[in-house]
Amino acid sequence: MNLALYGTCFESPFLVQLQRRCDRDRGVRKARSISRSRATHVVASATRMASEEGVVQLQKGIAELYDESSGIWEDIWGDHMHHGFYDPNNLSVSLSDHRSAQIRMIEEALRLAAVSDDRLLKNTWVVESSDDMCHKENPMKRPKRIVDVGCGIGGSSRYLARKYGAECLGITLSPVQAQRAQALAAAQGLSDKVSFQVADALKQPFPDGQFDLVWSMESGEHMPDKTRFVSELARVAAPGATIIIVTWCHRDLSSEEESLKAEEKKLLDKICDAYYLPAWCSTADYVKLLQSLSLQDIKAADWSQYVAPFWPAVIRTALTWKGLTSLLRSGWKTIKGALAMPLMIEGYKKDLIKFAIITCRKPA
Amino acid sequence: MRLLTHNMLSSNIKGVTNGFPLRLEIEKAVEKQVDFNVDFLKNMFVKIEWKALVDASRAMGYVDLPDQTEPSMLDSDEFLKKFHHALLELHLEEGALICPETDRRFPVNKGIPNMLLHEDEV
Repeated sequence: MNLALYGTCFESPFLVQLQRRCDRDRGVRKARSISRSRATHVVASATRMASEEGVVQLQKGIAELYDESSGIWEDIWGDHMHHGFYDPNNLSVSLSDHRSAQIRMIEEALRLAAVSDDRLLKNTWVVESSDDMCHKENPMKRPKRIVDVGCGIGGSSRYLARKYGAECLGITLSPVQAQRAQALAAAQGLSDKVSFQVADALKQPFPDGQFDLVWSMESGEHMPDKTRFVSELARVAAPGATIIIVTWCHRDLSSEEESLKAEEKKLLDKICDAYYLPAWCSTADYVKLLQSLSLQDIKAADWSQYVAPFWPAVIRTALTWKGLTSLLRSGWKTIKGALAMPLMIEGYKKDLIKFAIITCRKPA
Repeated sequence: MRLLTHNMLSSNIKGVTNGFPLRLEIEKAVEKQVDFNVDFLKNMFVKIEWKALVDASRAMGYVDLPDQTEPSMLDSDEFLKKFHHALLELHLEEGALICPETDRRFPVNKGIPNMLLHEDEV
């Protein structure tokens, strides 16, 4: 990692030492036979199957990252581990505004999935619209059973269960997150409605067709096999169910391009390394996958402009006394994740990274 | 893990044709009081695999659920209370869920099931 990328706020000698230690540790780790970098370079396209060993290593890394970092995140940001949805015209946002923005993100995602086409936000494209007028008059039915795929500490699960009076099951790779999610549910009187399991989104532990709403809020970027990920979302969806995927993608490729430019890949690789992400795909790739599964009413949107204040805000909180001391107590995975945050800003600025939402319906 | 959750979980090990329902291996079971919510119960009733719920509740030591049901039972307060108790108040804290075909154990710790598969099971 090149410290020059980070700008003046990261030039303190303390952080330079930290950076050197990360690099040294990486050098040591590369010498070992267990290669985490192998896991992050596992899949280049949405259609290729990941090697199982690489997937297992990646999943272990993801679990450990979140086991280590969830507590700090919750301490500073609360129980929603996703981007906020902001008004692009409002440039100064306080920390309490971020909390409402995170809730607005959930509401906007539900709105996109449910609304008829004429009320969509800018930068939304409707891929397929049902000709069935009944659907336009009867948007997404009130869900009774919801699955939260990559549930974190259960922020979305609890919010959706409360909003719809529904049962919600969350799955996460992190046992620490599952425990915390359950504890928060109990504390909020939601033990009857929500439950959490340690499970794999690529092999969801549910029979087919159980859920009216299949929710994946910023977990898709961790999935090494997008085909399997999306197939599982479709499999566990009941007939007529709504599927909502909010995730980080790279820009769509133009018709002449076969892949991203070399420097674009290089930037994404650094981010992958820090956040235990496998290879990225584009929003168009997701749309193709949904189409291949005969899912209907596919809508996709680029919400990058609505999330712009998020990473700068996270960096600011990391640089507070509380943020820094928490990071120091946390562990290398969390610190590396924190150091990689300016890379996310760079990716957005270059129009390389897109904050994407894709919604659809399973045929009834 | 309450039995409502158990009623949703299945074993998806490669080669297994029917991984539902999972058998219960009970090391520690507790009862937790949960608020009674009739609408929620009625919504859940239509989606529950009844036999799996009855068998699981009996494994947990609760024998009051009827073997079969009919929709008119939802009008009975007595039935709803039993349904509520079995579905939401019986918790498996420590133990395991067992795949009905392979006998593979999925551990349950502090009430959280771990359904992750090993490499060779995917």
